[in-house]
Amino acid sequence: MSDEESWRRFEAVALPHLDAAYNLARWLTRNDHDAEDVVQESLVRAMRYLGGFRGEGARPWLLQIVRNTCWTWLKANRPAENVGLDDGDGPAHDIAAPAADEPPQVAMRRADRALIDQAIAALPAAFREVLVLRELEDLSYAEIARIAEIPIGTVMSRLARARAQLRSALAPAAARPVLRPVPKVAQNGGPP
Amino acid sequence: MSTVDPALLHAFVDGELDLKSQLEMEQRLAGDPALRQRVEEIRLLRHEIREHAGYHAAPETLRTRVAALRSAAGDAPPSAAPSGVPTPTAASKAGRTIAWGRWLQWRPLAVGLGAAAVVALALQLAGPPPSRDEAIAAEVVASHVRSTLGQHLVDVASSDHHTVKPWYAGRLDYSPPVYDLTSTGFPLLGGRLDVIDGRKVAVLVYRRNQHKLALSLWPAPVYTTPGRPGSTRTMPIS
Repeated sequence: MSDEESWRRFEAVALPHLDAAYNLARWLTRNDHDAEDVVQESLVRAMRYLGGFRGEGARPWLLQIVRNTCWTWLKANRPAENVGLDDGDGPAHDIAAPAADEPPQVAMRRADRALIDQAIAALPAAFREVLVLRELEDLSYAEIARIAEIPIGTVMSRLARARAQLRSALAPAAARPVLRPVPKVAQNGGPP
Repeated sequence: MSTVDPALLHAFVDGELDLKSQLEMEQRLAGDPALRQRVEEIRLLRHEIREHAGYHAAPETLRTRVAALRSAAGDAPPSAAPSGVPTPTAASKAGRTIAWGRWLQWRPLAVGLGAAAVVALALQLAGPPPSRDEAIAAEVVASHVRSTLGQHLVDVASSDHHTVKPWYAGRLDYSPPVYDLTSTGFPLLGGRLDVIDGRKVAVLVYRRNQHKLALSLWPAPVYTTPGRPGSTRTMPIS
């Protein structure tokens, strides 16, 4: 295959999912610049593996490469995160006061967004990736299992624990009627 | 309240249980208000996350770096080790190859895509034999991807079909139907010209929530659709 042909194939297979690739890398590295580095390296790898791509499920295929590149990168650059324990004792949810001319609806949405983003970012990376793949990429448990190279049972339990942690992080501050406050202790339950 | 594995409860809300477990869970829920309450909480949380969590679309700088990969692929063997940051030379070279610009905000929504795929499939069934269809579909997709990489999404940017339709007069040998679909949730973004299957075609770009849809329209050749002259084929993407 000529360079031009392989680039065209790459363009058609991988590039439509560039946003998904960046979104995953950004949530895992939690940093714009690092996410770009990781995605670029992932794309170089994807080009190399393109011959092995069977033509189905381009997004999970690319995300698996991005995910592996992310973890290699995290191991090299943020070894502390590999134990998966983000203590969550960082700065409390400090949300910018809404500008006066903002309609209450918009202000509320912004507050929600900041809170939720903060809570997701505080999850251990192994939980965070499962949650992002499920809620932001809307992938099935089977696809997530393939991407993260874990059994479906582990996808289920990690997702359940990720959501439980989010729930405890969000409940007290947001004062939602349905989400009851949970004792702070529950937040410190890290992954096995 | 009976003890239920939380993972199963979450899988239930996600619709990921097999049929047997699904039915069992429904039965348990019917007799357990506290469990129903937990399911509601999970649903609410799920909704909140999906609604409000930030989605990080690829930034401009990344697209520039992707462009640099293209020239790197042409200059070096494909197994070459990745460089951390593209050199200015590579970047400027890529700039000559393709003007990369804004990409669509493709927030993947399986439901929307699924529906689009079904529509595309249904319409394709009515078209000419698959081999030629596939080639044309590939052309349409490639053209759409290119249009989203550059800044050439539309030639005429207007949400008014009375502006877009006349724009095609004199540019095409046929007049494409341009409809105002705003009321059904598909506002018009504009139109452009494209070359598909060796002919000039009209491409209308509509928006659906955060997604953009390119609709390529051209009259079907009479010989492939006997008795149905002037039909159009559509190809919704993204």
